Amino acid sequence: MSEATYDFEIRNLQASVEGKPILKGVNLGIRLGETHALMGPNGSGKSTLANVIMGHPGYEVTGGEIVYKGLNLLDMEPEERARLGVFLAFQYPVALPGVTAAQFLKTTLDAVRGDKKPKASEFLKELRGNMDYLEIDQTFLNRFLNDGFSGGEKKRMEILQMLTLKPSLAVMDETDSGLDIDALKVVAKGVNKLMGPNLGLLVITHYERLLTYIKPDHLHILMDGRIVLSGGPEVVKQLEEKGYDWVREQFGQEVVEV
Amino acid sequence: MTNTMEIREEELVAGFDEELLARLNDGPEWLCEARRAAFRRYAAIPLPTARDEEWRRTDPARFPFKDMTPMDRYDAAGALTAGEWNAWFDVVATVEGDRYAIQDVSGVLARKSLRVMTLAEAAEQYPERLSPYLQGQARGVPPGKYEALNEAFWTVGFFIDVPADTQLEKGILIRYINPPDGRIFMPRTIAVVGARSRVSMMEHFASADTARFLSVTAREVYLDESSVMNLTSLQEWGKSVYHLSSDWGFVARAAKLNWVAMHFGGRVSKMLLGCDTAGEGAEAELDGMYIGTQKQHYDQKTLQVHSAPKTYSNLLYKGAVKDKAYSVYQGMIIARPGANGVDAYQKNNNLVLDDGARADSLPGLQIDTDDLKCSHGSTIGNLNEEEVFYLRSRGLNNDEARKILLKGFFEEIVQKIPVEPVREKVRERIEEKMGSGGQ
Repeated sequence: MSEATYDFEIRNLQASVEGKPILKGVNLGIRLGETHALMGPNGSGKSTLANVIMGHPGYEVTGGEIVYKGLNLLDMEPEERARLGVFLAFQYPVALPGVTAAQFLKTTLDAVRGDKKPKASEFLKELRGNMDYLEIDQTFLNRFLNDGFSGGEKKRMEILQMLTLKPSLAVMDETDSGLDIDALKVVAKGVNKLMGPNLGLLVITHYERLLTYIKPDHLHILMDGRIVLSGGPEVVKQLEEKGYDWVREQFGQEVVEV
Repeated sequence: MTNTMEIREEELVAGFDEELLARLNDGPEWLCEARRAAFRRYAAIPLPTARDEEWRRTDPARFPFKDMTPMDRYDAAGALTAGEWNAWFDVVATVEGDRYAIQDVSGVLARKSLRVMTLAEAAEQYPERLSPYLQGQARGVPPGKYEALNEAFWTVGFFIDVPADTQLEKGILIRYINPPDGRIFMPRTIAVVGARSRVSMMEHFASADTARFLSVTAREVYLDESSVMNLTSLQEWGKSVYHLSSDWGFVARAAKLNWVAMHFGGRVSKMLLGCDTAGEGAEAELDGMYIGTQKQHYDQKTLQVHSAPKTYSNLLYKGAVKDKAYSVYQGMIIARPGANGVDAYQKNNNLVLDDGARADSLPGLQIDTDDLKCSHGSTIGNLNEEEVFYLRSRGLNNDEARKILLKGFFEEIVQKIPVEPVREKVRERIEEKMGSGGQ
């Protein structure tokens, strides 16, 4: 890691699940405006990292810190992290029978904004625009969130939530898993809309194909709970030129699956 | 040494004896005789004790019969007629305090589309219509002590008689509001739905938290061939009410009963809900919801009786307990000999939200036929922590997240309620009960 200051920084993070160490000293820094990709084989700790960043109570943090906006996220509840601008797009979003997508989005937006709640009319206008952009039918507004939705529909709703909440630090946990190429393109389109100088993005993926639609400027490889390769634009460029074969050569076939 | 307070026979019977029976018996002679016969059946059934399997989890001594006096008279004037749901029903029948009223909201009674009258009026005016239904034959199993008690001593109630080939646009609302403090409230409802008719009916029980009384209710609905009935019951008694109920549906050939039973109120409640799909092709969808908070105690039993071939029943009961509440669910599917081709399903899901709360679930089968499809199952557990985390990651605090998930848990039942404002009210009640401790 360089000495430059990061807006979001994970320092020597260690975490266990049911007493078993999963993360064994992760270091990773993100500046607003940057898009980072995190790749690694199954079981390397990718989802654990995503969950620990958001504050999942099922993971025990045994060391290190996660600093964002000068605060240690590890001292904060998940909802406090959300209000600070942290967002996690889930691999397995939850269905909420009884709560329509529109109600849910308004509720979460109000919760995250605190006293700067948007007017209902503005909220709806923006929401409808985002839905059009993500090719989500407007009827979904009045359907119960994710209730009976397909895998692809659930992932689009995750991105819709992200566009609604406008986080400043977003983690996407294998959002691409289980998506066909069309759905993948829509998801990428949504993410790209949000990318800009005010967003730090960490894209966790198993497959390199997502990275052809969401262009990272940094890449990290996680293996057995540690970042084994980290690089900036030069590494990403190298990747683009040489393909992912050299990563496989260096860290084994398992690291990147196509 | 035992902590169990035995009810001594004379304590209970003290209020319910031949003297009271004689006072109630001012109707036609056939009805007086029916009550006397019911009294003899009642007297022959031993009082339940906490040693009976049926009462093991709910000590019968918790029902304070000896502190309460029976109701005997109701007046036909002055009952509350205003109601937020009146416009959603064709007929509204109300018992409030010691008074009752029947409102013909949309003129269906004037047009003689159906009859809604008190049981006493029906006994005078239409004995031949009412008497066959007063024998309790909707019950798929013999009556227990308190069902027999109601059959002998019911003091108020309604007869709903829907002729064949009748469709009610909106339906019938029966309201029981604020029974008098310190009294034993004993209503009985009998509804008959004629062949090929379609009707909705709702019963609503509500009282202030300050009133302490005992409610012993009975309801029997009879669905004739190819009829459909949507039945909703919403129990919102206050927090010092003791409630014993027995509800039965009798479903004839190709008829269908959709039943949603919801319990929010009461201090100690023991409920039986039974349905006999008694004619070939009869169907029943039975849904239930109960939410216990503070020290509420719910003990409920459901019986899905299949006494005819090719009958179908599907039961889903969902409950939640918090604080020190305790819920018991006992379910039984009974397939009678010769009832071939039965489809019967039973599911009971419970959320236990606090360490001090408890839920017991005892699904069961009693099968005397070898040709059936049948399943039963139950779950007991807390909310899914992954789901709580999902909501918290979206900025909701722990309480808000749990409320939303609870709402979602019950929504499957709420969706079955036919009347929109009742659905909304139930959603509000769920939120209220799941809020800060109070019921």
